[in-house]
Amino acid sequence: MNFLQKNWILGVLIGCLAWVPAALAEDAPVQQNQAASATATADAIALSMKKDAICTRCHDESETKPILALYQTKHGNRADPRTPNCQSCHGESDKHLHGDPAQKGRAAPDVRFGVRRGTSGDFAPNSAEEQSGKCLACHKKDANRSHWEGSVHQSQDITCTQCHNIHSPRDKVRDRATQTEVCFTCHKDQRAQINRLSHHPIPEGKMTCSDCHNPHGSIGPKLMKRDSINDVCYTCHMEKRGPFVYAHEPVGEDCTTCHNPHGTSAESLLKMRPPFLCQSCHTPHTTVQPSLSSQTAGSPNSLGWWNGSAITQGRGCVNCHTQIHGSNNPSLVNPAPQNLFR
Amino acid sequence: MKNPRKQFGFSRTILALSVLAAFGLAHAEEDDVAQLVNPHSTVSVGLSAASGDSKDRTIFNQYSGLRDNNSNLLLDYNIVKRNDATGLWTTSQGNNLGLDNRDLSFSQNKQGDWKYSIGYSELVRHDPRTINTGVQGVGTSTLTVSSLAAPGAGTDLNLEIKRSGISLSGEKWLTSNLMLEVTAKNEDKKGARLSGTGIACTPAGMSSITCSSLSAAMLMLPEPIDSTTKQIEARLNFSGDKLLLSGGYYGSFYSNANGSLNSTLASWNLYNPDGSTLATTAAPGSILAGLLQQPVALPPDNQANQVYVSGHYAFTPTTHSTFKYAYTHATQNETFSSMGLTGMPSGVNNLAGVVDSNVAQFGLTARPIEKLSLLGNVHYASKDDKTPLAAYSGAYTNDTHSSKKLNGKLEAGYALPQNLRATLGVDYESEHRDAPVSTAAVLNAALNPLTGLREDTHEVGYRAELKRSMTETINAVVSYVQSKRDGGSWLNIGPANPVGTYPMTMMDRKRDKVKLSGDWTPTNKLSLQFLLENGKDTYTGPTAKGLRDTGMNSYGVDAELKVTDFWKMTGYVSQSTQTQHVDYSTGYLAELKNTNTNFGVGVVGNPSSKLELGGNLLYVNDNNSYQQSMASGTPIVGGGLPDVTNRVISLKLYGKYALQTNAYIRADMVYQNAKTNEWTWDSFTYSDNTTVSMQPNQKAVFLGASYIYQF
Repeated sequence: MNFLQKNWILGVLIGCLAWVPAALAEDAPVQQNQAASATATADAIALSMKKDAICTRCHDESETKPILALYQTKHGNRADPRTPNCQSCHGESDKHLHGDPAQKGRAAPDVRFGVRRGTSGDFAPNSAEEQSGKCLACHKKDANRSHWEGSVHQSQDITCTQCHNIHSPRDKVRDRATQTEVCFTCHKDQRAQINRLSHHPIPEGKMTCSDCHNPHGSIGPKLMKRDSINDVCYTCHMEKRGPFVYAHEPVGEDCTTCHNPHGTSAESLLKMRPPFLCQSCHTPHTTVQPSLSSQTAGSPNSLGWWNGSAITQGRGCVNCHTQIHGSNNPSLVNPAPQNLFR
Repeated sequence: MKNPRKQFGFSRTILALSVLAAFGLAHAEEDDVAQLVNPHSTVSVGLSAASGDSKDRTIFNQYSGLRDNNSNLLLDYNIVKRNDATGLWTTSQGNNLGLDNRDLSFSQNKQGDWKYSIGYSELVRHDPRTINTGVQGVGTSTLTVSSLAAPGAGTDLNLEIKRSGISLSGEKWLTSNLMLEVTAKNEDKKGARLSGTGIACTPAGMSSITCSSLSAAMLMLPEPIDSTTKQIEARLNFSGDKLLLSGGYYGSFYSNANGSLNSTLASWNLYNPDGSTLATTAAPGSILAGLLQQPVALPPDNQANQVYVSGHYAFTPTTHSTFKYAYTHATQNETFSSMGLTGMPSGVNNLAGVVDSNVAQFGLTARPIEKLSLLGNVHYASKDDKTPLAAYSGAYTNDTHSSKKLNGKLEAGYALPQNLRATLGVDYESEHRDAPVSTAAVLNAALNPLTGLREDTHEVGYRAELKRSMTETINAVVSYVQSKRDGGSWLNIGPANPVGTYPMTMMDRKRDKVKLSGDWTPTNKLSLQFLLENGKDTYTGPTAKGLRDTGMNSYGVDAELKVTDFWKMTGYVSQSTQTQHVDYSTGYLAELKNTNTNFGVGVVGNPSSKLELGGNLLYVNDNNSYQQSMASGTPIVGGGLPDVTNRVISLKLYGKYALQTNAYIRADMVYQNAKTNEWTWDSFTYSDNTTVSMQPNQKAVFLGASYIYQF
């Protein structure tokens, strides 16, 4: 680990080395059986494309969602017998293909995906339940979707294709660098919050929504990946878990009592600047008022830190109450650990 | 829906399929077809340059991964290889390999059979502030503090935290219904973060510290955060026609390389904020110096082991249930002596902390008739703190923190005539916190940090939502939420305090929130989204002090416009206002207000079949005001706190030109102007004359050029 940290180039090499043998190992039998394999490949794709040709004879690369790119995706992996063809998802669509005497113009395919007319051709989309049902027919086996039913996304009629682009080899929502663009389509408050000065590295692409949330459903609040907000925070900030000799009660209850993980104006993702945040629960020390050090010059307090600046500037109340998340110091000696001083 | 023209300039599908129909893939057009149906890999190599002094871009650089030097290597790759005969995927990806926030991954996957992956990632967080100090030993647990003759006379220190993680994961379908998943992650954290200690003589309410005169001192002591977290999870999933059942284990382990932070004052003089000397050879300076050199406990090692079952059962195609039960056993038993700490009660070597938690959840959804959907969910969580008590503070012991929490919700949605859908919901939440069980410090009337605690709180909320598709191009949703929290009697901790503050998480609270949102697609080329939101929380407690109310208002408009067949624009504007009104027990009233304005506009287009251009502009104005007044009518010290405004303007532009069908050059430009009048560290000097600063008006320009090869 340390070796890798100090020598990232080696990390790259190791990554490449890990890939090359695997690629070669994969290539070896291909080379040995090149002709047979090439035939199998050609046959698989050809067979699949021929089956889909009933659709692709009209729907081609000029579509908003180009058709053939699907074959680059896992849905297009023809060696996997479970992969679908066009009609697996869109239905047999006999009337759309062969015409409906009772209808003027071309009839709609059986299953139309999208949120409104125009997002799936010129036809109105099917219900959210019918759309997601097509996907879940195969994907219901995924344990990460066990709590989809009853989740806020499901009950708000969010469909799979509102977030996922099935036809594209690069599904924006599954790419860490672009995932937020999809989520922020609805979650506007969070879009604004991540641009505040104190933020997790979300705009920089090093953290993304699905690091903390499971959009497919969970038992945690706000679709948290783990069972509680704190359990999610502990996955990166485990030092806050304790238990400690002296605890700060809200720390163990809910990190979001004090922090907004999406971004804040105050440092350390604090919802309010100290001392205002702290004094929303705690009785202030005597009559000390929040003030700046420049405002107290010449006052009696200026000789000591025990003034308004000490609770307002620097790290605020935490200037002295250093171990605000809990102290494991067993000492009796001042500064008293029970006040989370050290 | 069709685009009149794609970058290929012609429809390949028709061509490909006609070719296939006639000859199969072994035809001259095979390459064209292959390009469309086979996964692509890319390698991107380039160089970047950043403008100016590194202090001019500390906000931009916080997580950018850019190194201290002005030029950096840009290297990314994405290898995607599929064996169409076997279905085996082999992928490897490397991002930002020339930067400090690089990541690498490799995986192989035989769909529906097995998969494994390995990943490595780094992230460096550069503290945007510069510390000027004489403190030595930063990054270690042994610091030496040498006072500076004057503020600014020390050396500049830029703290950073580096996270390096390795992750492994694998899954295997054992049978068609049974899958095993295993994931493991190890993350090392290195570096130091801004921290410190401070102490005052005879602070009111803290009579236990006596220096016999009004004095105080404060030191900046960076906290070493070298530590390791490990997580491992193994899960066995069964999937039948109606039942999805998972059983698993999740273990998480934290190990801190340092147990305590120890500092030594090398210089026997400290300074008062007014610049006068605070001699540490005589009281009160000597007492303060002694106190400040006491070791600070760093976070102890801890671990948690969890087992769980979770799943989903479909009673009928329209009636489903979800469930989960989890039991967690968490411990913290690092010995005090190994942490470098002393003073524990006789016979006590470690906290022997044990917290057992249970979580249970059951949910039911049903659609008894086509128009009606029902949802019910209940969630129970208990925390049983079994940590033994010991007299750590002489007469006072530690305390335990056990709790029980119950949440439930019922929701019904009904499709009304005229494309209306109504949803009604009831939410319930109750929490029980065990009262302090010991003579813990929190019960010390002399300390009195809290006026009262509450064992039980209950909250009931009602929701109503009306959704309507007014036409095929206009949808609107209006929702209203009201909730009320109250609770049991208050346990008064200290002496009766008529102006005491009570915890905001336990006070009675009334919440009202209304939200209106909609979308309109007037033409195929233009779509709009609207959002309007208003909410207010009102708090009441035994006194009229503490948090009184909070409020929020926000609005926003998003637009997406297809300007031409080749150009698309997006834009948004939003503004939110948040207020907090707090009456403090010392007689001053605070009206805090945050107004956050965001404006963004983006454009992307293809002026020619070979050229792609894009860019976006972001403007953020974040204003905070801290209005204060005294209940008594006397003036506020110094006239109150000035407003703080943070403003960021960011412009990103890129261009991508196709040299040939599988090779591109790309140019990127980022300009960011970050401006703040934040006063947190202004004129603030630690007792050793350490100061902390940040350039208030920062301008950063980043230029990058890359060659991209696709294969």
